[in-house]
Amino acid sequence: MKANISVDHIARIEGHGNVHVVIEGDEVKTVQMEVVEPARLFESMVRGRSFTEVSYISSRICGICSASHTVTDLLAIERVFGVEVTDRTNALRELLVYGSYLQNHGTHLYVLAAPDFLGLKSVFPVEQIAPELFDGALALKQLGNELCTAVGGRSIHPITAVVGGFTHEIVRDEYLAFAERMEAMIPFALQTVDVFNSFEVPAMQTTGDLLAMYAPDKYAVCDSRTLRFVDAGVDFDADQWTDHIEEYAVPHSGALFARERSAQRNYMTSALARINVSWDKLCKQAKVAAAKAGLRPPERNPFLNNVAQAVEIVDALERCAILCRRLAAGEFEGSSAPAPFKVRAGRGTGYTEAPRGVVLHELELDDDGRVVHASIATPTSQNVANLEDDMRQLAEMLVAEGVDEPTIRLRIEELVRAYDPCLSCSVH
Amino acid sequence: MGAFSLITDAEARVPRVVVVGLASCFGCQLQITNAEEHLMEILGQIDVRYWQLVTSEDGVEDFDVAIIEGAVTTRESEETCKFLRAHAAHVMAIGACACTGGVTGMASDYLGARTDLVYDGEAPDACGEMIEPRPVSAVIDVDSEVRCCPIDPYDFVAALQRALYGSNRLPEPRTMCADCKRNETECFFEQGVLCLGLVTQAACGARCVNLGRPCNGCAGMSSAANLEAARLSCETYGVPVESFDKALEMFNQVKLTDSETL
Repeated sequence: MKANISVDHIARIEGHGNVHVVIEGDEVKTVQMEVVEPARLFESMVRGRSFTEVSYISSRICGICSASHTVTDLLAIERVFGVEVTDRTNALRELLVYGSYLQNHGTHLYVLAAPDFLGLKSVFPVEQIAPELFDGALALKQLGNELCTAVGGRSIHPITAVVGGFTHEIVRDEYLAFAERMEAMIPFALQTVDVFNSFEVPAMQTTGDLLAMYAPDKYAVCDSRTLRFVDAGVDFDADQWTDHIEEYAVPHSGALFARERSAQRNYMTSALARINVSWDKLCKQAKVAAAKAGLRPPERNPFLNNVAQAVEIVDALERCAILCRRLAAGEFEGSSAPAPFKVRAGRGTGYTEAPRGVVLHELELDDDGRVVHASIATPTSQNVANLEDDMRQLAEMLVAEGVDEPTIRLRIEELVRAYDPCLSCSVH
Repeated sequence: MGAFSLITDAEARVPRVVVVGLASCFGCQLQITNAEEHLMEILGQIDVRYWQLVTSEDGVEDFDVAIIEGAVTTRESEETCKFLRAHAAHVMAIGACACTGGVTGMASDYLGARTDLVYDGEAPDACGEMIEPRPVSAVIDVDSEVRCCPIDPYDFVAALQRALYGSNRLPEPRTMCADCKRNETECFFEQGVLCLGLVTQAACGARCVNLGRPCNGCAGMSSAANLEAARLSCETYGVPVESFDKALEMFNQVKLTDSETL
């Protein structure tokens, strides 16, 4: 077989990327995921800006992960200033991050990924084929948007989240109404797990390591500082991230690539990585759904990131319903009004699990709280090297099976979409 | 703004629309899909010919309306804009990046030093041939704009409706302060806190201020903005003028850089 597979501006992903695969005979010669996103140079933009503006600027790295970038930046600044926030503020931040999970996973699974498995070019025909799924998907996405709006003031690029707390909060009855809507959405989320689990995917295992947040007692997404490399068996604090993660530039990508520093091994960070690290801490219904779908650690098939995201939707709904009820009942200590703090110089790293995986913001501030240095690592920039490895593996597998060129092309596109890349985020 | 004409006058057909993203966070495109309840009603009135974010249909050359998100930051995207202008009867810029350069436009100052800082030298080839970030209107004529970062989905719906069916509504250059007066919200300046409502185009109903946060100017400067008077106000309220000028860069850097060089 001789094939030169090129997909320019691969569709239904966030941002601009080209796929380039050259096959000669039985051999896969070249595999490239070209990230052709324009450089926006955020690390330079935040330089010299006050801590009051930083999260507002860096949230613009990404429309869909804006809540994650905001919270990550606030955590970095609070680490520098030594700000202790209340339990209530932490609960609200978790709610904000989970709101973006519902938005992201709902949009990714139904609008971006599902058409692949249904043999469609976009989600719109689903309205005719399976109106119940279509309406459910929109309702799920809408719930995520409304949750982000309620907590952050806007569906994307939150307004109310500031250093030390929140400038605004919704009232008790609104929390209760959200809790009810979350619970009512769970049956559709469970159906989503079944739907995505029913799609046939190539049997493959990623060769890279897996990286995700670890906490001893919960499925943590924004309140632990510990990162875990699953295979390497290494845990480390976010402040030490550059000791363990190496970023490097390649000509075909506007995004810096990343690998595990000591072993020089590529890795994946994603919902799938989180499931591998924290499976045992999923909420009850999410765990049952995962078990029923056969998704349990160790699970290394990157295509199953779709199922992992579906399980996380169930988990997020259960968790947010509980959070909302507890917020309504005033169970969390303290107020969400911004805690007082003193501006001081220093360096600190904020870390959260964005919907697509590990996001790190390292900030150095001067005595006036202005940024001297910033370094930002997004999930997709960490994933691209590993994605290329998986694309090669998949292409080799399909060539060996004698699959035709259009099918190889489609499967590779599906793999890219299963990673849920955010290329605009990766070139920040 | 181009000459006013009705898209639907041209031919009796469903208006053909393309949505194109340049340098941006993709958030404004997402906001279109965030009009969930009305999404299918909107899509039912148009024929979406190209929208990389949501469909794998191939690109096309026949369309009536081009919706552009993002700032122009490369020679390639400049060409894209010209191509869209040459084929579309109506070009709509959506979001701060497309309308004013937005946060992306912050890099228009000292661009070379910035790529050095982020990439230790030149940006990779994949980033394209980089130019100072600029709004779409700096490259081609734009017929309509939806301002703010991000756009409000319903503002977009209203703008699309005006593009498709026409409107005799004129642009209103009033600044955001007028909206706060209308809302009877407490003024940040009275607490000695800087707010950009003084010079920012009113477009959002003072969303941030209503939630306890000063205006960051995402709608861009109003054509009626009086910078000198605003600086005087800062002095009156004990807010450092430098912090006003600095804050203004966040969404208006391109305009500020241009006015310096003029």
